[in-house]
Amino acid sequence: MLRFILIRLAVAVPTLLGMSVVAFAIVAIAPGDPVMMELRALGVVPKPEDIAALRAEYGLDQPFLLRYLDWLGRAVQLDLGTSIATGRSVVTEIAMRLPATLSLAVSALIGAVLVSVVFGVCALSRNRGVAACMRGLTILLVSIPSFWLALLFIYLFVLTIGWGRLVGDGTWSDLILPALTLGLGAGASLGRVVYERIRAELSEDHIRLAIAKGLAPRRILISHIAPRIVGPLATAWANTFGALLGGVVIVESIFGWPGLGQLILQAIAQRDFPVIQAYLVFMGLIFFTMSILADIVVFFTDPQLRRTLSDD
Amino acid sequence: MIERRLSLPALRFGLRGGRFGLMMGVALLLGFVVLGLSPLFVDIAPPAQIDLLARLAGPSDTHPLGTDHLGRDVLSRLIHAVPVSLGAAFATMLAILAIALPWGVIAAVAGGRVDMVMMRLADIIMAFPTLVLALAIIGFMGASLQASIIGIAAAWWPSNARMVRALVLSASQRDFVRAAYLSGASRLRVIVRHILPQVLPPLAVIISLETASVLLALSALSFLGIGAQPPTPEWGAMLNQARPFFAQAPHMLLVPGLAVTAAVLALNLIGEGLRDLLDTREPYEW
Amino acid sequence: MVALLQVQNLSVGLPFSAPLLDAISFDIAEGERVGLVGASGCGKSLTAGTLCGLLRAPLRVLAGSVRLDGTSLTDASPAIWRAARGRSVFQIFQSPGTALTPVRRVGTQLAEAAQIAGRDTKAAVSQALDAVALQPDVTGLFPYQLSGGMKQRVLIAMALILRPRLLIADEPTTGLDVLTEHDILTALNTAADETGASVLFISHDLRAVHRIATRTLVMHAGRLVEDADIADLAISKAPAARALATAATALQNPC
Repeated sequence: MLRFILIRLAVAVPTLLGMSVVAFAIVAIAPGDPVMMELRALGVVPKPEDIAALRAEYGLDQPFLLRYLDWLGRAVQLDLGTSIATGRSVVTEIAMRLPATLSLAVSALIGAVLVSVVFGVCALSRNRGVAACMRGLTILLVSIPSFWLALLFIYLFVLTIGWGRLVGDGTWSDLILPALTLGLGAGASLGRVVYERIRAELSEDHIRLAIAKGLAPRRILISHIAPRIVGPLATAWANTFGALLGGVVIVESIFGWPGLGQLILQAIAQRDFPVIQAYLVFMGLIFFTMSILADIVVFFTDPQLRRTLSDD
Repeated sequence: MIERRLSLPALRFGLRGGRFGLMMGVALLLGFVVLGLSPLFVDIAPPAQIDLLARLAGPSDTHPLGTDHLGRDVLSRLIHAVPVSLGAAFATMLAILAIALPWGVIAAVAGGRVDMVMMRLADIIMAFPTLVLALAIIGFMGASLQASIIGIAAAWWPSNARMVRALVLSASQRDFVRAAYLSGASRLRVIVRHILPQVLPPLAVIISLETASVLLALSALSFLGIGAQPPTPEWGAMLNQARPFFAQAPHMLLVPGLAVTAAVLALNLIGEGLRDLLDTREPYEW
Repeated sequence: MVALLQVQNLSVGLPFSAPLLDAISFDIAEGERVGLVGASGCGKSLTAGTLCGLLRAPLRVLAGSVRLDGTSLTDASPAIWRAARGRSVFQIFQSPGTALTPVRRVGTQLAEAAQIAGRDTKAAVSQALDAVALQPDVTGLFPYQLSGGMKQRVLIAMALILRPRLLIADEPTTGLDVLTEHDILTALNTAADETGASVLFISHDLRAVHRIATRTLVMHAGRLVEDADIADLAISKAPAARALATAATALQNPC
């Protein structure tokens, strides 16, 4: 087991390096000169000497590789620069809001997994009516934009019935509506995956034998189908989490949830490049970790894979 | 011989869920196309015509879907948003395919080192959550509809490239493809005559479903104000502009949201319907 | 005496098109071993599938009846089928390679059979493995670690544990080498002897059938064309039966 994790991590290093290059180089697509923009953002009228001095200070006159290594060196020490807008350390800004975003993303994921199991299993019901209903509901939920669903929920719950608040401040009760909004859509999408996986398994020869033995459906589902689909499902959960990390941006802005979503939108509006860059780095790292965890689950649930890797 | 009668009359005509959904999806999509082209044939109020005296009016004879906060006709803006929203989604999908198709095919056919490098590059980009990467790209390029198209295309292409590669790989394993190689056919010939025909149907499924996902993302970005910029009519943007007013004017809340949902639904129905058609393995009844 | 299995005028196929099985009728008595032969694609596996209620939609029973051990299995509810499968009827399917669940150990899958049969797991499993000449430590292995012949014997062991009244074996030796074929057929005979089950042995190979059964059914293009002793096939009225007998004899000429 340890061997597998070590190998997986070793393979991950080039990917991580590649990610860091992307995060570093992406600044280059910005039109205009970052130095000029920063000076302008600070409200300073730039003089040629100032510009040259600032360029030297930022090392902008150095070749790409040196600048990258310099940036990387600082990055691993958790120094990702200061926010142009607030002047505070970028890492501080992000650390302040990361817990709120993570708690929303995680609760939405849990909700989504629960919804997906209900949807997926019901869609397989022998009752044609129930199955068709579920599949129709799934496809509908997957098509509703989360921002519209959020607005509808606000209209319904906050304005009409009177639950919840329009502007939240991060207490647990404010988490329910945003998590529900995200969880329903993600749950319907995951439900599709669950349904397809189980349906594909039900066409397999080994299920035919299990049925021929006279086993009850519940037993077949738990003993013969579940172990086969846990791996792919774990991967789907990791991918859903990645989608949720993006989706929270929309929902946080509508529900006023104090997370990274508001930070990144402000940063985009204010061209606050250090913040945008750090956001990319953090979100990338978090998603990357989830993917590795999913890979570990896949490894554990496939006996053939385990054997071939540990026999080497 | 006793013929046992089937329970639902619809089943008699082979009309199963999948086919029905596919037909509905195609009909919806065609409806949108017709709607989008309608300004060429029918006289509709210009979408940019501001009439502050009539702002936030409910549905009426002159304005079948009411007016927005600037007195512009909502129906007209909705119709003029069709080429913008759908057009942007299709343009983005084209851009995605332009990269993902060659990438996946080359990686699958070349194999070995080339495959490894190409997939590693795709993995690096896929390691970032898709919307996050798109946001970063828009952040650096400056908010605009073009930037959001480029941002989404850049974030979405790797997963599509992987799917194309998987399709080509499984198509290449078929015995008749191997036989073709053995009989001396050139790589290009094998790809065009044997692999592509196998790959196209599942690819159609992928394209429909991915376009749906792209459309959702584009409207979301426009809703956040970093996609289509005013005064361009776009469903997500319309919803965003309606936000301060929807307590007073609920029709502005409903209509653009319904439009996005309907368009995405059409694409999802088409994708799922096609998948149902292609799926020949039926499950055993337990 | 009422036969164990009574099939009358059974027609199976897609609705609104020509039936794939056309008015099949035959009986199998208790403890009787019967072969079912025919060219590929004549409907043998379809018959076997129907007898277990494992027809894949949209295939369905179009007409006729199946009675097993006194219970009517036509239009039976899932509950009736669940009670019948494993105990009244069990099938060893055509491809052993994919028949066992890859992610569970062999021992677990055999234990499930013991639970269905209501027998003590340890005793039943070890007895069955012994009868098919498999080592007891096979229970700790995963299916991918077994050869095709071993997997097939595991399935026969499963049949031994379940003790169905009717055991259907669908091409159990197809694709296996001659030595393994011998082992499998021996194991099958042992299973039938020990449990007193009726056997329906499906194969396209008359010689293999002859090891198990004397009476055989011959199918051709979805129809049952002959129901007689193997020895009498050469003089059968049905051309398909005669052709099979001739081919089998030709192959049997010593090297």
